[in-house]
Amino acid sequence: MTSSLLLSLTTFAYFGSAALYLGGVVFRLKSVLSLGSVLGLGTLVIQTAGLLLRWRESYELGYGHAPLSNLYESLVFAAWAIMLLYLIMEYRTKQRTLGVFPAIFAFLAMAYASFSTSVDARIQPILPALKSNWLIAHVITCFLGYAAFAIASGISIFYLLKKSGETSGRPSALMAMIPEARHLDELNYQLILFGFLWLSLGIITGSVWANSAWGTYWSWDPKETWSLITWLVYAAVLHARTIQGWRGKRVAWLSLLGFGCVLFTYFGVNFLLSGLHSYATK
Amino acid sequence: MEQDVGIWQKISKTLGSLKLTLFVFLMLAIFSVVGTLLPQGMTEHELQERFGAGLGDWIVGMGFHDVYRTGWFRALIMLLCVNLIVCSLQRLPKSLKLITHEDQSLNPDKLLKLSYHMDMTTRLSWTDTQSRLTSILAEEFAPPKTRQGSESYTAYAIRGKWSPVIVYLVHLSVLLVLAGALLGSIFGFKGFMQVSEGESSNLVMLTSGRHQVTLPFAVRCDDFDVSFYDTGAPKEYRSDLTILRNGESAHTQTIRVNDPMTYEGITFYQSSYGNTLKRAEVEFQDKSAGVTERLTMNFRETVTIPGTRDRVQVVRYEPEFSRFGPAVGVVLQKHGEKESSGSWILVNMPDFHGNRIGNYQVRVIGVEASQYTGLQVKKDPGIWMVYTGFTAMLIGIGMAYHTSQRKIWVWAAPRGSSQRVVVAGRANKNSLAFEAEFTRLCERLEQDLRQDPGKREIS
Repeated sequence: MTSSLLLSLTTFAYFGSAALYLGGVVFRLKSVLSLGSVLGLGTLVIQTAGLLLRWRESYELGYGHAPLSNLYESLVFAAWAIMLLYLIMEYRTKQRTLGVFPAIFAFLAMAYASFSTSVDARIQPILPALKSNWLIAHVITCFLGYAAFAIASGISIFYLLKKSGETSGRPSALMAMIPEARHLDELNYQLILFGFLWLSLGIITGSVWANSAWGTYWSWDPKETWSLITWLVYAAVLHARTIQGWRGKRVAWLSLLGFGCVLFTYFGVNFLLSGLHSYATK
Repeated sequence: MEQDVGIWQKISKTLGSLKLTLFVFLMLAIFSVVGTLLPQGMTEHELQERFGAGLGDWIVGMGFHDVYRTGWFRALIMLLCVNLIVCSLQRLPKSLKLITHEDQSLNPDKLLKLSYHMDMTTRLSWTDTQSRLTSILAEEFAPPKTRQGSESYTAYAIRGKWSPVIVYLVHLSVLLVLAGALLGSIFGFKGFMQVSEGESSNLVMLTSGRHQVTLPFAVRCDDFDVSFYDTGAPKEYRSDLTILRNGESAHTQTIRVNDPMTYEGITFYQSSYGNTLKRAEVEFQDKSAGVTERLTMNFRETVTIPGTRDRVQVVRYEPEFSRFGPAVGVVLQKHGEKESSGSWILVNMPDFHGNRIGNYQVRVIGVEASQYTGLQVKKDPGIWMVYTGFTAMLIGIGMAYHTSQRKIWVWAAPRGSSQRVVVAGRANKNSLAFEAEFTRLCERLEQDLRQDPGKREIS
């Protein structure tokens, strides 16, 4: 049993889970949705085992580092964080229909990691700059934030679909099982607040780490700057909502804009701009 | 005078407004985007080459090649600080009022206007109703403040009382971080020093400007070492450093990437390494004059060739020069000539025809090279304030996520043989969770107040 086998299995299983969630919503079948949840949870367990095994394998190779050191590992971790966070949310809200987008995102992340020729899946030695316990804290906090924003963006899409159905006067049957718009709005807000907390933690741990490694807690590196832009967008959403009472569509669109910034911070900066985080491209 | 007050009020209202906040956020974001899309720190010349003279000059004029240090950007950060301070001062009294204010003049009509409310009747006795309302509220929500009388009963309970002021902690934390950064940039420095193995230095070249700082002590590099993985990728950079005070060693420590040394508030980070020349043995032969001189030249030290007034200097060293082996760069200043001339001299190829400068044939007999360690040096007296700000920010945002202020009011009064009870509630955020909490409370009240009081009324 190797970690790569478990992680390949994870890719296909997340596809299955996404298909079940989507099928459950489209055909309004609660039992299919439940199957999606069960498969999602089972896959998360397999993926956790895969990640732990990969960690151990890196020690056997003599490198010995947490599986959070390059693009491949970060994609796998992103999928893991999205599903973990989503399943906890599902357990607490009992809203299974919201699993469509998280499962799709998790599958896409795993598929990109596994099938793209530009992503190297091998366990590589770690650069001296990354040899720090801050690495674990920094990556975990950032990706929990990204995961929350990913789920929030999925909810925002549902919100906009639901609203456009309501205003056109003939609510789509496809949307019948999706929770009420005001519930989606509230969940969106909760997730943004949660993601904002973790993004702040991620930026701060990165900053403290940079200070202990290079002596600068902020150097306007493109990745740092884009994470700040993302932070500003979500800070604007939170302020507009609390002070100005923005709700609904505007918040949903802003949530999507914020997630766009997250994606650019994660991928765009790696491929289009160069900087301190260049090791994250391979 | 009155008009003046009006203008000032308008200005302070604008300075504290959310619109300004959003504007500043947007502008900061736009400037940052420019800063990441346009490579920063390019020279005027490079910009003109890449973008043409017109656009290049415009970029320089706007300061977009160094966005984060422009007046624009600093002004925006100043504006953000002013906005934070003014809006906090304007809103704080209202938030404090939210905490201390208790609505005492409760009446059912007011309560029924709140979005969460319930109106019910109970056949329990008036005294039982009052005591049960108080105890259920305490059990399900929070111990209430009550007013009991024969005419009416009112109760008020609050949870997450301090939640509305947490945001000010977050605002304060942002100001702390920025103030700490300012403190560090005024009273601290950031620079670089290069120390060869076995040698010591107390000079730090500053990153910005061409200044240098002389440390009150010297740093000696006892050893530098780089190790590699089997794949050839670097595994570890390590320097053994000794602090020298008046020539005596005061402190010894090994530093690595991610593991710096701090001495008297100054921190040394492993940053780079390289090869440098200590001294070279060089022979200068002037065939026409029949002169051959062999000199021992320290790196970058000017030496006069004996018997002449020509001065020479070793200025560069490459351990591997275009696959020709080591080479040293030598510069000659002929007496009486304005321009100096120089050339790379290949150490392993003494007969190479290019080993000539002016009237001299140059041979390098021997070189004494050494490795140097590159240290990033920093003093930042503002870092504690930045870190305090970070901590406050995390506590603030964490608490903002976990708490919300929720208030519940109960009003009851006898109505004929039964009692009327009105319950209402309000939360400042997380309305879904509050809705569930409120519903649970109402269900409990219905269950406990509607139940059979024990003795039946004879009708």
